[in-house]
Amino acid sequence: MKQWEFNRRYVLQGVAAIAAAAAAGGIPGLSRAAGDLKLWAAGIHKVGAKDWSAMSSQAGIGIAYTTKSARADEAIQKMVVGDGNKLFDAMTDNGGGMENALGSQKAIVPLDTTKIPNWKNILPSYNDGGLAAHSIRYDGKVYATPMISNADSMAYDYKKLGFHPTSWEVLFDSQFKGRAALQNDFGPTLTNMAIYLKESGKIEIGNPSDMTPNEVKAVCQYLIDYKKKGQFRTFWDGFQNGVGILTSGEVLVSSCWEPIQIVANRKTGDKADIRYGSMKEGHQAWNNIVMLTKGGHERGMDAAYYALANVYLSPWFGARTLAGLGFGAQMVGVDDYIKSHPKDFPAAKQAEVLDILTRKNERLANKGNAWQNVFPKHLRAYQDWWARLQAA
Amino acid sequence: MSEDIATTVLQSAGGGRDVPASPSPWRRWLGENGLQKWAFYVPVIFLVLFFVLPMATTVVWSVFERTQFWMEPGFTFFAYENFFTSARAENYVYSMIHSAWAVVISFALGFPIAVFVRRRVPRAAQHRVILLFILPFMISELVRVFAMRPILGRYGVLNSLFMDIGLIDEPITAILFSPLGVVIGDVVSFLPFMVFAGFLAMEAVQPYVFEVCDDLGARTLRTFRDIIVPLAAPGIFAGGIFIFVNGLGVALVPIILGGPGAVNAGLIVNQAIVALDFPLAMAISTIMIATLVALLYIGHRLFDLTKILEPIN
Repeated sequence: MKQWEFNRRYVLQGVAAIAAAAAAGGIPGLSRAAGDLKLWAAGIHKVGAKDWSAMSSQAGIGIAYTTKSARADEAIQKMVVGDGNKLFDAMTDNGGGMENALGSQKAIVPLDTTKIPNWKNILPSYNDGGLAAHSIRYDGKVYATPMISNADSMAYDYKKLGFHPTSWEVLFDSQFKGRAALQNDFGPTLTNMAIYLKESGKIEIGNPSDMTPNEVKAVCQYLIDYKKKGQFRTFWDGFQNGVGILTSGEVLVSSCWEPIQIVANRKTGDKADIRYGSMKEGHQAWNNIVMLTKGGHERGMDAAYYALANVYLSPWFGARTLAGLGFGAQMVGVDDYIKSHPKDFPAAKQAEVLDILTRKNERLANKGNAWQNVFPKHLRAYQDWWARLQAA
Repeated sequence: MSEDIATTVLQSAGGGRDVPASPSPWRRWLGENGLQKWAFYVPVIFLVLFFVLPMATTVVWSVFERTQFWMEPGFTFFAYENFFTSARAENYVYSMIHSAWAVVISFALGFPIAVFVRRRVPRAAQHRVILLFILPFMISELVRVFAMRPILGRYGVLNSLFMDIGLIDEPITAILFSPLGVVIGDVVSFLPFMVFAGFLAMEAVQPYVFEVCDDLGARTLRTFRDIIVPLAAPGIFAGGIFIFVNGLGVALVPIILGGPGAVNAGLIVNQAIVALDFPLAMAISTIMIATLVALLYIGHRLFDLTKILEPIN
């Protein structure tokens, strides 16, 4: 036998043996893979362990996870014009736009909520007529299960400021000239600024989530004016960037996501006291949702999807996402769960998490809030005016 | 005729052994009229597949109609009109200016290093010294650019140092989150391109040139300005193009070191894609390609870029 024949023969024999063992269920990782729920999701959509094992064991299903960014273009390209439906059974994204986009393109399928036992615990705002009801529905049908939510606000260094800001006004305060920052994303930034300008009576705006071109122009011109005065140090882009400008002391006030404030505060220790405020004018509210893809439905993965959706609506998940990254739970009773699980949430942690929950509920209840809109009607105006703000 | 000569040569080389008069079919298939002939077309096929086709697609898509989530065939210059009538053109020009500054500073810092290595470092060690400039490339660019923040920041190393030695009373804030910050980031990121290109370009400057200059009493600055730079111009230009194109297209630097809303051309394209405006993204890419081609054309007319390969030849 020649050497190369020996190698080839033994490699083939080895591969055949592994395949046979996998088919017989002898190798757990490989044998289970065929029935796993192929989930395309962001890392922030899991709790309990660094990998998806805790989520997997809570749901009682195998999860084959693929990392996903929060970019709408990536999801649309993959699911509408790409091979997303072949690759994924379920996917996560932003509510308030993506369920419409993907539902209208038949990339996802409507849900039977009776198959999700925890659906009965869902926040009342998701019921028909509720403030967030539209964010999980398309064409009157439920297409998504909400997982996390928040009302974005502003982080500030209490040690340096010496007071707790309660208005977006502080971003434009001359004493913080060159020490203020905004998110480098026209969606949340223009919505939050529109809420502020509308509620403070500075500019007349109909719907801060879906502004007319003239309203977009007015909001951007207001920001351009302050940008030219040197009010803003930078517009942050990306999680680490958002954390970095706060921990380094470059900025004292910054509109940002709550996890940024939580991580920045943990990193700075005693050097700073970075907190997350509640703005009296209101905030952009948003959620993330999980959807069953058309491909997943065709492959018969409905039951696995519903099992995962049930976990997302369980207080087990809600309490942990709240305690970990400060995201809002999507079910009622999460406070009771935290109180009744002192092993997982010792007294100090309980106090901290319940405080976050109280402030979050206060923010979410603000009448000035506007819901995130991934695809505003006049998207072109948002794009063009944002470019002008960048150039100013 | 040539085959006869080859046969004669082979026969004589074989010391009288029998050599087949005509090559075997296998040899013929591999020979000059077989596969070898087609081998010359491989680069052309590669160029067409990976350069011409993507470019052509970019240009064609740039005149397509935008739909809600994608685009559909059509013929409209709306994306170009939008580019030039919105502030994107302004952002693009700023991006070119910042990149041009990065080229100038990189030349001022990098080319003298290349000259120094060629002139002063023993020939056997020159390549090793130049290879040292590859080391920064072993670290992720993201890390390299992010590492500039603790150096340039309000409470960063530079400001602390300057304040400690009494040079300044207040931190300098213009070196981070500003256009200057972007230029510094570009220089730090892309300086090795100038060193490499400059080093190669210096192959065109023979050692005796320095000796002649010395003998004629030319001062260092004059030798550099009137002799070295003109001789090495094609290589310097090539290095400059690398830096310019990267400054224009690499979005990391303005994101991490730029001021409020700082962008470069790459970031403008990225933002258009995020907003699902694919024809606009393609139009900006087409403009970037046109800019590069124009620069290469000007460079070739001025410096004859084929000279870059002369030292190798």
